[in-house]
Amino acid sequence: MDEGERVMVRALFLLLVAFSLHADVYQTNCVSCHEKLPVSIDKYFYRYLLNYSSEKDVKRAMLEYLRKPDKQKSVMGESFINRFGVKQKSELSNGDLKKALNVYYETYKVFGKLK
Amino acid sequence: MYFSAQRELMLQEKKSTLETYSKQLLQELKFLHVNFDKTQLYPRHEEYESAIFDSDKKLIFSSAPTTLRVDKILYLEDAYVTLVSIAESYYLGAKYVVVKVKDDGVWLKQTRKELIAFNVLAFVFMFVIGYALLRLFLKPMRDALALLDRFIKDTTHELNTPVSTIVANIEMIDKSMLDEKTLKKINRIDIGAKTISNIYQDLTYLTLGNKIVTKDEELDVARVIEERMDYFKSLADAKKVSLSKEIIDSPTLLMDKAKFSKLLDNLISNAIKYNKLKGSIKITLQNNVMSVEDTGVGIAKEHISKMQERYSRFNNSSGGFGLGLNIVSSIAKEYDLKIKIDSREKEWTKVSVSW
Repeated sequence: MDEGERVMVRALFLLLVAFSLHADVYQTNCVSCHEKLPVSIDKYFYRYLLNYSSEKDVKRAMLEYLRKPDKQKSVMGESFINRFGVKQKSELSNGDLKKALNVYYETYKVFGKLK
Repeated sequence: MYFSAQRELMLQEKKSTLETYSKQLLQELKFLHVNFDKTQLYPRHEEYESAIFDSDKKLIFSSAPTTLRVDKILYLEDAYVTLVSIAESYYLGAKYVVVKVKDDGVWLKQTRKELIAFNVLAFVFMFVIGYALLRLFLKPMRDALALLDRFIKDTTHELNTPVSTIVANIEMIDKSMLDEKTLKKINRIDIGAKTISNIYQDLTYLTLGNKIVTKDEELDVARVIEERMDYFKSLADAKKVSLSKEIIDSPTLLMDKAKFSKLLDNLISNAIKYNKLKGSIKITLQNNVMSVEDTGVGIAKEHISKMQERYSRFNNSSGGFGLGLNIVSSIAKEYDLKIKIDSREKEWTKVSVSW
């Protein structure tokens, strides 16, 4: 293995670590909790998509809600709110939230999936 | 304008169909949205193509290549009638739902047909109007021409009897019984009568031209020349013009004798009329070409082409109606003879007839 290849491998490794760290933010802070709920996490995504359409708008609306949850702003139905209530305000930093949302969006987005 | 109106009409006709398709597609998208974890198969239909775009106008999916236009709801593009509708709920994130059907072009053909029919009608209408106006404007001119023709017809009719009487009676006079003074006077009367007779014959030929019965025969051209030279001798003498002929060979020509005489008469009488005093006229016959050459006033080059038109005259030195060469050319046309006019102003004119 020469020097160039070694550098490339190291870069790849770093990239993988970085991505898994992002995934980790999403995995540990979002999925871990939602897994325990009777409504799977993708349902929220499609609710947002139904209301906000584009990637930019969806992510912004999600971020806003996570930072400041509000019964009025919720995309979920009234019966859902009545049953489960409004979630707690997220304590993650803006940056972490954004990272988590990116992973969330990439996981469930419609682009490239339709046949 | 009519074209775009027709296109608009067609678009409106297709609109309700497209709206139905659009609603159908939305229902299917709704189903797909709810069941996206089970199926990702985009709804396709034979009747129409479709595409969905998100609120950033980014393409989510399309069944056929489509570009989104948001300036219009209903439009015709790339031979597709296209309807863009904005969804109330964004199933699968689709804000803009585009449905389009292939334009069958029937309206276009229909419109073209109607436009062509309209243009033809308009053209015919304009043509009729134009023709009517033209007739109206040209009426005074036609009236004047008709008047002239009628006048000539009437005049010739009235001239017939007296002229024939004079000519016949002069021929009956026994000239050896007369003294020299009387003979001179009689000769002058003879010349005058012959001139009138020539004009009379020209006019009858023109006005009754089509009704003259022709009798074609093998003409001995040399003999006819001789006869006509005799006839014109007194006229030529009066102007002190010498008449000569040079007959090299003696061809024949299948033609009506009266018409050939008229042709030749006109050439000779022109040559006498436009000759100078003590001038000469030479008639040559060779190789199916007969030419009459004079030593007269000649004619300018630019006038030669117009010489054969009726009533055209370029010289006022002597009287005339300007009919002579017109008769010559109409006879020549009838028998397929070629007329060639050469001239040098104030020196000579040569008219050649070839067959």
